Amino acid sequence: MRNPFEEFKDFERRRRDIPLDQIVKSKNVTMARIMEGYEKLLEEEVKELVWLVQYNTVIKAYANAEKSIKGLEFKPEDIEDFCYELDSSDRIPYMITGPAGIYIAALCNHCEEDEVVLKLEDIKTQINLLGYRLPAGKRLLIEGNVGDFAGIGVEGGELIIEGSAKNYAGAGMRSGKLVITKNVGHHTGEWMMGGEIRVGGRIRGLGNIMDGKIYEREQLIYPKDGRYSPRNG
Amino acid sequence: MKVNGKGESNKGTSVSQGDGFYQKRVKEIYRFLEENLYFNRPDMEIKGERFNTSLLFGLLTALGRGKELIIGEPGVGKTTSAEFIGSLVYQIPVGVIWSSEVSGHPEQTEEKIIGRPDLGKLNKGIEEVVWSHFSQIPVKIVDEINRLPETKQSMILDGVDRGNWEYLNEMIINEEYCLFATANYQDQGTNTIIPPMIDRFDILVESRHPGPNVSYLVAECWDKENILRHPELERDFEEVLNRKIPYHTKLSEVEAVSNRFGEFLESRVGLKLLSQEERRLILSQVRGLDFSTDASAFTRMTLAELSFCYYHGQKRSVENCVEGCHYSGYFCHEIKNCASNRLPMSIRSYSQILAWFLEDREVGIEHVKVVIPYTLAHRIRWRDEYLARMEKSRRNDPFMLFLAKGAVKEMLRRYDEQGDRIKEALGVGFRILNGEELEPIEGDHPVYLEIMKDLSMEPS
Repeated sequence: MRNPFEEFKDFERRRRDIPLDQIVKSKNVTMARIMEGYEKLLEEEVKELVWLVQYNTVIKAYANAEKSIKGLEFKPEDIEDFCYELDSSDRIPYMITGPAGIYIAALCNHCEEDEVVLKLEDIKTQINLLGYRLPAGKRLLIEGNVGDFAGIGVEGGELIIEGSAKNYAGAGMRSGKLVITKNVGHHTGEWMMGGEIRVGGRIRGLGNIMDGKIYEREQLIYPKDGRYSPRNG
Repeated sequence: MKVNGKGESNKGTSVSQGDGFYQKRVKEIYRFLEENLYFNRPDMEIKGERFNTSLLFGLLTALGRGKELIIGEPGVGKTTSAEFIGSLVYQIPVGVIWSSEVSGHPEQTEEKIIGRPDLGKLNKGIEEVVWSHFSQIPVKIVDEINRLPETKQSMILDGVDRGNWEYLNEMIINEEYCLFATANYQDQGTNTIIPPMIDRFDILVESRHPGPNVSYLVAECWDKENILRHPELERDFEEVLNRKIPYHTKLSEVEAVSNRFGEFLESRVGLKLLSQEERRLILSQVRGLDFSTDASAFTRMTLAELSFCYYHGQKRSVENCVEGCHYSGYFCHEIKNCASNRLPMSIRSYSQILAWFLEDREVGIEHVKVVIPYTLAHRIRWRDEYLARMEKSRRNDPFMLFLAKGAVKEMLRRYDEQGDRIKEALGVGFRILNGEELEPIEGDHPVYLEIMKDLSMEPS
């Protein structure tokens, strides 16, 4: 008997894109470009940033990060996805929390939305330098714990961390607001030049502060005499 | 030049013409009918063109050698439309068609329909058949077929189906013929058309009331059939048809008279009709049109819904559908009978000729979608519960056609959702039958299980 399906021998199913497919496709393209930018940044900056975070290297790295993401269109969710990619993906050759934080900061600062929310509670790695140079008019909300140098050099924006931060939180901050709902480590507000830091939990130690205000559990602890001296961190 | 879908060129035939040539000629015939002979509203739109269903399907029936059942109220042009179409497509004066028509009535006899013994010769002990004009000419019209009693309908079954007419020990076979039968709505003088007879009709159309304004126009043109009359040629036709010569010899003489009528009509109204050779060529172009994979898959899906039964292996009119069956959402649950093998033949031939008429290169889902309701309407026997549920719906079509159109719409919606998967299942079916070790594609529609049956992989 003849094969009754002969008319269909060459049929190859072309899967019809549903709106979700389009979204996934476009997200994949965006993510690939974000990753590419990050890898480029790593190639250029890794040597200087691997061992030590120095302010001039951070400035240079940030400038490179801005260059890498130039022209890239992305949403706050893409930044969040990138954070998780950093944490788990084997697509990234190496994860260095410093450059990663700089790069994420550049993404947040150049994101079209005024408010960026990053839900990072489930992330294993605590990323450094989040909120770097957050400009005025920008609000960055991070759910989860972060690493060192959170809110470093904030330039008028509002950084809220629903969780804990490590050392040097708000270092070099110029103006704006840094709110950390749980605890922070040593050298909080190191070389801070303005703005305010509000910590809902405990501050392990303050840094060498130039100007600005620091609150611990609603209590103003800088500038005024408290249980910490500016240099006891 | 690709004349037909199989790449056969028609070089060497005197009537070979480029693409669209014959379609234009046929469309001219359609327009002539529409403007001069059969006045009615266009009630169908296909690919941006508007047509009158009855006229369009009538024309396609005549060209495609189909069999059409025309239903409607008395006096709305069922028979006359068939007469006009038959006359123009086959170049036969309408008077000859009138004389060959079979009138359905309870006393109708085989002798009047098919043929009778030559009584003069019978007296001399010689058996010779005098064939009726109905059995001889290619345009066959049975007027009011449902007035024939059920027992007498079977007399014309074979002739209707295959074109072979037998009487005594003689037989003639019509190589080229079409059939139109009309049926009034049920009254005290009508009978049911027997299922084997109804299944032989490719399509069912309704000749509808044209509305008061067009109807008024019809009344003004009471003598319009005179356009297609030619008493002298009608006598010539009769003389040839009555001649005692072999049937195949007679056909060539019929064609000669027919061509004279065509020439007459061209000089009279400027309309060029089709010769027998041109009709044959058109049909070869039509039959060469391939189906798109969508048209083919959708037709298979339709056939699956109309023939499938999960519990009994297939639909059988003597077995009842089991309540609570998983497949109760499909039309197999709403019908009593099973689709016959004539159904796909009707779908195929009418979709092809429609696609040809519209000058399309292949039969697509649009053509199939238009044709299927008209091929289904008279063939489906719906369950009483379904009829009761649907009978109060507002509609423009006769009930059976309304149900068929609704069914096709519903099946098309299903196809839109899962057409690609069905085609993939059919494609995988091909590869499995070709020896590849693959898993058949599964799905919820009956067509998937039917594919698995063909692969001998039906789940237990």
